[in-house]
Amino acid sequence: MHIHAYEKLWLALSIVLILALIGTVTYGAVGPGVAMVADTQQTVDSGALDEDERFSEPRVEQVGENEYEAYVVAYQFAFEPSPIVVPANSTVTLHVTSRDVIHGFEVVGTNANTMIVPGEVSEITVETDEPAEYGIVCNEYCGAGHHVMEGKLHVVSQSEFENRGGDSA
Amino acid sequence: MSTALEAEQTFVDKFPDEARVVRAAFLSAFFALFLGAIFGIIQTLHRTDVARIIPSTDYYTVLTAHGVFMVISFTIFFLVGLFTWALTRSLDRPLINIKITWTWYGLMAVGMTLTGISILAGFVDSIDMSADVLFTFYAPLQAHPLFYTGLVVFIVGTWIAGADWFRTFLAWRSDHPDQRIPLQTFMVLTTMTMWYIATSAVAASVLLFLLPWSLGLIDQVNPTLTRTLFWFFGHPVVYFWLMPAYMLWYTVLPKIAGGRLFSDPLARVVFVLFLLLSTPVGIHHQYLDPGIAEGFKFISMTNTMFLLLPSLLTAFTVVASVEYGARQNGGTGLLGWLTNLPWRKPEFTGMMLAGLMFAAGGFSGMVNAGMNINYLIHNTLWVPGHFHLTVGTAVALTMMAGTYWIWPQISNKPIFSSQIGLFQVVLWFIGMALMSNAMHAQGLLGVPRRTAEPEYSGFDYPTMFGGFEELNVQIAIGGTLLFVSTILFLGNLALTMGNPRVSGLAEPLPSPVSGSEDAPQVLDNLRLWVSIAVVLVVLAYALPIAAIIQRGGLLGPGVGTYPVWVAPVFDALADAATPLVGAVTDASASLVEVVR
Amino acid sequence: MGQNETAHAGAEDVGGGEEFDPIGTLTLIGIYFAILVLAWVYIYYVEFLGRDLVVVG
Repeated sequence: MHIHAYEKLWLALSIVLILALIGTVTYGAVGPGVAMVADTQQTVDSGALDEDERFSEPRVEQVGENEYEAYVVAYQFAFEPSPIVVPANSTVTLHVTSRDVIHGFEVVGTNANTMIVPGEVSEITVETDEPAEYGIVCNEYCGAGHHVMEGKLHVVSQSEFENRGGDSA
Repeated sequence: MSTALEAEQTFVDKFPDEARVVRAAFLSAFFALFLGAIFGIIQTLHRTDVARIIPSTDYYTVLTAHGVFMVISFTIFFLVGLFTWALTRSLDRPLINIKITWTWYGLMAVGMTLTGISILAGFVDSIDMSADVLFTFYAPLQAHPLFYTGLVVFIVGTWIAGADWFRTFLAWRSDHPDQRIPLQTFMVLTTMTMWYIATSAVAASVLLFLLPWSLGLIDQVNPTLTRTLFWFFGHPVVYFWLMPAYMLWYTVLPKIAGGRLFSDPLARVVFVLFLLLSTPVGIHHQYLDPGIAEGFKFISMTNTMFLLLPSLLTAFTVVASVEYGARQNGGTGLLGWLTNLPWRKPEFTGMMLAGLMFAAGGFSGMVNAGMNINYLIHNTLWVPGHFHLTVGTAVALTMMAGTYWIWPQISNKPIFSSQIGLFQVVLWFIGMALMSNAMHAQGLLGVPRRTAEPEYSGFDYPTMFGGFEELNVQIAIGGTLLFVSTILFLGNLALTMGNPRVSGLAEPLPSPVSGSEDAPQVLDNLRLWVSIAVVLVVLAYALPIAAIIQRGGLLGPGVGTYPVWVAPVFDALADAATPLVGAVTDASASLVEVVR
Repeated sequence: MGQNETAHAGAEDVGGGEEFDPIGTLTLIGIYFAILVLAWVYIYYVEFLGRDLVVVG
């Protein structure tokens, strides 16, 4: 097959580009350790979250030194708890599930972003930095009131977190 | 106009029956474009809070209508028209039976009308019907059964269209056993093969799950499964939109530029690559889905990245063909030849600007394809920013520009005004540059897509790229320009239809610089490519789908039903189908075990 | 116009080897390649990895 030399050069460059793109993503996974939300959690009964020990009371829980777990429930058209309060400079694992339809969970302006599918639990672990206040939006259409569905994530200092007590259950 | 050209016959002179079908399909496409544009402008001005003439709860009816009318009706009706023209023209023979042709056109029209009614009924409170589920119709949000029914009828219409073209091709083949498949026919056949593979999943999703569920025959569905089946279809469908544009870039644009296609063999390679790689990539739309293993997502990403290859090759071949034309017209220098091109012709400038925007869309597409960077942009306004460059410009603008060239061929009527046409395509480019750029930027601010009111009470967006408000202004201005551009296009075409018929409009297509004789014979072996395509799809999807069924069950882990319409009473039939389900779940569980 | 192009193309075909070197295309697409690479590096390393709350598990 006749292919012009310039086009062969472009073909080679294109393949280099494709490999470089895959390489960058692989670097992101291996270097900074970016992990994908995946199938690590068991399915749950979305119609019976009230009886689920993790989701009957949406909350933030300390599970280790500087390690916290947040159990978040999304439903038409809100998130619970709101705000989600977590301490600064800690590792927080968010478990997010839906009571009804598909929702999205996006901490605005950050990389914390996941789909929420009823029956599944989205598990993402993030590391908090300085105290900050973030907005949370539902970024998947979930019904006529979709645009009012928002929440908050408050990253507070360690001492403030302890003073709040009740929120951290 | 030379006498030699006047002696040439146009398409409508040679194939008047087929030309009528092509015109009918194009007019259906443009009617959908008109409706889609109306909903587009309402939506743009609503989202940006410039003018809110509807309640925000109706925004999602508008959004569903805009999406379905633009990317299902407009693009696909144009495609069937263009493919009918291309196949008939390149085989130089009429379709086997024009009644069959009108049958599939009729089915598509009826299907889309049913779906359209179910969507538009969402505006009328007194009718218990709505399909506010958007173009992706994710369960457990549930549309009225008419919505799904219409989609099925429409897709069956496209299947018969493909069969019509294949039969015509086979008839040609028996008369010409040793000839190469003409390039345009090759493009039609590979694209339709891809379409059969892709639509099998969405047809299964609708017929096995969503339609019975909306009729009350089954209680619930597995939302991850129906979502996955949707994206099995949802990614190749974007290439189904794109292939008509590619066909015009490969076979018509070089002619308009005054040259010839640079390479026929590479064009064939590109279409084969699309057939092979378009489908086993859909999971890249589900990078942030729970319930799907990271390994499946990585495989999907690798396939997706290699899908860049045919588009990158296309960029070279098409630009080289245009450069060839420019140099035939006396163009010189490294880039000086760019001035020796017919920029005054809307069909040329429109397609070139569409290609330029596609290059920009190529970048945001790379980002969308990159697995972990999806956290940055998933479901933000970046994503619609991206596809308004690709389907919204590379496809839509090429289709409009192509119409300026092809309409005289199928009607013997010259275009009413080339000046208006030129203004219109440039206006589209400017409007989309403003709107899409601002949408990408808002996406990086974290502004979500698919929402009536992207301003929230509890927080403000960070200030970058000029800030949320300023970007809203750009989106509103851009959207308005796009609406005006659409109206100018439709007006120009309507006036063209009022022109008297003339002769001498024929524009035959030249043969490529490197012709089909340079293409290895194996490229025309469709059976081989179909087999490989099916194997790749099975490799990419068998395990993920089996795993999803094993996790959640065929009908899902107890997820409820959330109709956006008021359900009729079908409860008596409800439990009829459930016994079947357990068996399939068990079977898939054992499949997963075996493969592991 | 149609006739011109046929005549030119015919003359071109007579030449041996490569009939036509698309050097302009190579230039344009080379510029595109550079833009793609720079834009990708920016969006991945600055916009993406530079953000708060990187998902690490």
